[in-house]
Amino acid sequence: MKTLPIESGLLLAGVLFTLGLISVLVRRNIIFMLISVEIMLNAAGLAFIVAGSRWAQADGQVMFIFILTMAAAEVSVGLALILQIYHHLKTLDSDAADRMNG
Amino acid sequence: MTIYDMISLAPLWILSSAAILIFFSISIKRNHKVIFVITVLSLMADFAFVSTYSIHHLHSIEPLLVIDGFGVFNIGLILLTTLVVTLISYAYFEQREERKEEYYILMILAALGAIMLVISKHFVSLFLGLEILSVSLYALIAYLRKRERSDEAGIKYLILAAFSSAFLLFGMALVYATTGSMEFAGIAAWITRAHEMPVMVITGFGMMIVGIGFKLGIVPFHMWAPDVYEGSPAPVTAFIATVSKGGMIALLVRFFNTLNGYQYTTFMLVFTILAIASMFIGNILALRQNNVKRLLAYSSIAHLGYVLVAFLAGEKLGMEAVIFYLVAYFITTLGAFGILATLSDKDRDAELLEDYRGLLWKRPLTAIVFSAMLLSLAGIPLTAGFVGKFYVIAAGIHTHRWLLVIILVINSVIGLYYYIKLIAVMFDQKQEPRPSQDLHPLVYIVSSVTMAILVLSLFWIGVNPEGMMTLIRSVL
Repeated sequence: MKTLPIESGLLLAGVLFTLGLISVLVRRNIIFMLISVEIMLNAAGLAFIVAGSRWAQADGQVMFIFILTMAAAEVSVGLALILQIYHHLKTLDSDAADRMNG
Repeated sequence: MTIYDMISLAPLWILSSAAILIFFSISIKRNHKVIFVITVLSLMADFAFVSTYSIHHLHSIEPLLVIDGFGVFNIGLILLTTLVVTLISYAYFEQREERKEEYYILMILAALGAIMLVISKHFVSLFLGLEILSVSLYALIAYLRKRERSDEAGIKYLILAAFSSAFLLFGMALVYATTGSMEFAGIAAWITRAHEMPVMVITGFGMMIVGIGFKLGIVPFHMWAPDVYEGSPAPVTAFIATVSKGGMIALLVRFFNTLNGYQYTTFMLVFTILAIASMFIGNILALRQNNVKRLLAYSSIAHLGYVLVAFLAGEKLGMEAVIFYLVAYFITTLGAFGILATLSDKDRDAELLEDYRGLLWKRPLTAIVFSAMLLSLAGIPLTAGFVGKFYVIAAGIHTHRWLLVIILVINSVIGLYYYIKLIAVMFDQKQEPRPSQDLHPLVYIVSSVTMAILVLSLFWIGVNPEGMMTLIRSVL
């Protein structure tokens, strides 16, 4: 089996991470912001898997499973909060959820 | 895992079993008092257990955790802080109609995460501890669901915390990809062998600093702090300002010392810039705040800047100063938010400057305690805050960080203005009957005793700091 060079794997992860980063900054809908953050987290997970395969260790995959679990916990709390916000504001625009400033 | 490992991890076991116990006891019957008592007892039992560890206790559970003197001290600090937060939460939540029992589970889990953070020596345990802490905090911040701003604060914190976690993780992955180790010691060994740091490792550390800086709430990663402080319930704000930030500082100290990061000028420069920016921006933005919670948020940004000065000073004196400053800052912050929580009523927190006008004439004791806490934050002699600041300056001078020391002194003067302003408001004469509170007096006794203990320890450490200094010196 031909192995891919580690750089290309990390590059892919980096591109994914940047895409997530840009869309978190550009998007105004809270659900899309949450999805973008998930993309960033998964990009980090992918980078861990690539790094693990470079050293032929299971650690990278272990870390990925932890990231997956944490992302699930985070999304469940996040969606509950988003529902709550929708009840209050009737919109998911993040600019509307900005009543505190100073 | 051996039996000895299991026993060493008892602080974690006690907390997780307490969380499960509360879980079951809620499913049997909802009783705020019972849950509160279970929480307090388990935190006390845990602290009693931790204090039996000898000072030179050193036990590592390979490869994830290490329980040494530094870790044990921080565990004790976190447990006591959580205990105080729980004590001030009781009166605060008793007057609210919402379901209040789950709050204590989340609080215990958050403490568990922070404890894991301070004893970790591996990226996996670091990440686990951090996320247990963060996910509990998301729920805690948005706990008062009927309150308008709590969901907004919760979602802001959630998005930004996940955002910064992604940075931290990607940074870790880059470091792991290059060094082949996720253990702090392994990374340090690799860097020593490599002589020169490759770009990938520097990028990785840079991204990790973003994640850590966010948790610490230092400039330029501080945007969340004022909003989250304002939106969350007062005891939760106290928890974020103390345990969450202190745990991260402890981890940063451990990581940096293992790596011996003081020899890399790049990192020192980055942290110097962060410290200076935090001190100035925190203090200057605090000047124009009329909301006491936001004011304390900006003041805590500045205080983390002061802690970074001690951290940058390095060597043994610097580490002592970091821990001492944290202890003083914890006591003071808990006191200030404790008063805020006791003054809050059913509908909202006492967060406006107007709520404090003439407080001295309405509730003299409360006003005096609050003044003492503010004076300690400002660093007036006889308080713990003064000794802490003195320690930081001594550490800075010891390693010739003159720029940082001078900026710290300038900022202390700026900070004095807004603390004194708040005290002046309390001394303002304006009589106006306050609506009487209708809770059982016993509820207030808990809060009052807690406040009394905090004030006593504030002055005790301020007047007689030797005891605390010896303790800190012996654990390092």
